[in-house]
Amino acid sequence: MSMRHFGYQDKILLLQHGSTELLSLAQRRGALLHKLLSGTGIFEQDLHKPHGRLHHNDWLKLLQNCQQQLNSPELPYLLGGALLNSRYISLCQSLQYAQNLRQAMAQLYYFRHQLFPCFYVRLYQQQHCILIEFKPALGLANQQGFMQTVVFSLLLGLIKQQLGSVCGISLQLQQAASHQLQHQLHWGVDVSFNQSADSISIPLALWQQCFTDADAQKFSATRRTCRQLNRVLNKQRALPESICRLQRKALPQLLNQDQVASALGLSSSSLKRQLSQHNTNFASLLDEVRRDAARQLLQQGHYSNRQLAQKLGYSDEHNFRRAFKRWTGLIPSSFKGMFNFN
Amino acid sequence: MWRQHRYKILFSLLLLLSGLLLAIDTGDAKQNNEFDALDILGEGTTLLVACGWLGLIISSRPTGRVTEWLYYGSLLLVYSYFLDLLDEFIRYPDHIRLMSWLESLPAPVGMLVLTYGLIGWHREQRAINRQLRGRELFLRDHQLIDPLTQLYGIEYLQAVLQREIELHQSQHKTLSLLVLDIDNFAAVNRRHGMAAGDAYLSQLSELLSSQLRYSDVVCRYAGDRFIALLPNTALPQAQIMAQHLRQQLSQLSVANTGPQLTLVEMAVQQDSAKSALHAADQAMALAKKTTALKLQPI
Repeated sequence: MSMRHFGYQDKILLLQHGSTELLSLAQRRGALLHKLLSGTGIFEQDLHKPHGRLHHNDWLKLLQNCQQQLNSPELPYLLGGALLNSRYISLCQSLQYAQNLRQAMAQLYYFRHQLFPCFYVRLYQQQHCILIEFKPALGLANQQGFMQTVVFSLLLGLIKQQLGSVCGISLQLQQAASHQLQHQLHWGVDVSFNQSADSISIPLALWQQCFTDADAQKFSATRRTCRQLNRVLNKQRALPESICRLQRKALPQLLNQDQVASALGLSSSSLKRQLSQHNTNFASLLDEVRRDAARQLLQQGHYSNRQLAQKLGYSDEHNFRRAFKRWTGLIPSSFKGMFNFN
Repeated sequence: MWRQHRYKILFSLLLLLSGLLLAIDTGDAKQNNEFDALDILGEGTTLLVACGWLGLIISSRPTGRVTEWLYYGSLLLVYSYFLDLLDEFIRYPDHIRLMSWLESLPAPVGMLVLTYGLIGWHREQRAINRQLRGRELFLRDHQLIDPLTQLYGIEYLQAVLQREIELHQSQHKTLSLLVLDIDNFAAVNRRHGMAAGDAYLSQLSELLSSQLRYSDVVCRYAGDRFIALLPNTALPQAQIMAQHLRQQLSQLSVANTGPQLTLVEMAVQQDSAKSALHAADQAMALAKKTTALKLQPI
């Protein structure tokens, strides 16, 4: 199944897919270009090359520079809007020509490596809505909140633009309630904080509603451009994401580091080294996978602790209980109780 | 700022160099064992601090009369301290008094010049404060300024509003708010591009702050929403001001076919800034629904 994954050294982002927009936003707010670019390895003369690329590392550094230079909390919201309406990003254009939200999201998910290689998602169907949960696919340092805001702004902007309202949509964020007012003013949807994952829930009714700018011909034309762009930006995933997927598939078995490394075509030591470049390690990724799986299972149905422990590959239920308490601060039964009340 | 002061810096360097040459010419170097480390440390630090002042003046001030006074005052101090430091390393013959004069005279003169410059700065600051009225009330914190429109942002508004509410309640006066919202700003950004949207916002903020009174303050509440605080203003007065503002704004819209704007006035009856702003949001939502108060530019 060896899907190719990119290393930390690969230039996987196009300058025109965000950097130029971000830079011009920041420059119009009085930041100096050479200070924004300092330490990034991006050269000023490359900014307007159609296929100029950058490392994801440089992107993170750029975000950090912007936040240092400017005190402008609206930046991530504006960047989301700017990406959506950029004439140079055919992926975003194709989203607007899609038939409906379902097609747009499928398109965005398929080509996400071109725009947001830093996230992958899991979908959950609930009673009246579909929940899209965002997971960081690589080490995002302290920029996860910023990038998450960019993605949500893009999605909400698209929905508002094409369907006219964002009524019924709600967001769940991991962060503490700090930018409450900003979120409220820019997004106009319900936001809840301190949740276990960053996610957006979209009512089922919205998924099939026809987009106002729907245009099958233009959609397929822009999709063709996206496909052509795949020659420059290979369709590949980040290493932590690949590992999480492998582990999730293998549950209740647990793959050890060597097995995963050989499945990905790496040596065990280089796997370790590359993970440390993402500021993570094998054990914590596995822990994360199990935590998500446990939460999902608990929300879905009535499993006993023993069944859960088996499904998640724990040797006995005591170990599972201890791990669960470490993740949530609650024992599984009271967590279940919380959901049954809701 | 440095570019404006090129000749000044060149002149200062030449002055210091000439002082150095003069000192080397008249005196001889001291032996290693004659150095007094404590003296060197003390005088060196003073020199560094004075140089730092020069740098700060150059990097923060545009050219002008006050800047000249501040600069040359500090330069004299630097010159004096520089020679002071040099005589730790160089011994002058006893019969030549020139160097000790050069050492001690410029410092007090420099102090006087600097003081005169500081008085000028004080006057200038008062003038700037007058100029800033309409953009700022009792509080100043440059970190809260929105970099695009150069207006204060939401945190500032909350702090100022809270204080004004308390003041007005204790004095039984009325406080009003004007809320201005750009309708569907996202569509403007989409049609004309982000750059045009940003330009429109800064134009709008210029117009707003120029049209209000000195005692008022305009803040950028959200991306596309502005709130003006009108202290000591009853609702009828606020309505007149709103009417006036609508006329002015319609001119702006004609000029560049901008988006529609909604302007709402309200008297603050709430006890806290939070609830007042909440009420402002609701008033805006209501106005948007009824569209009775809407501006209709061509």
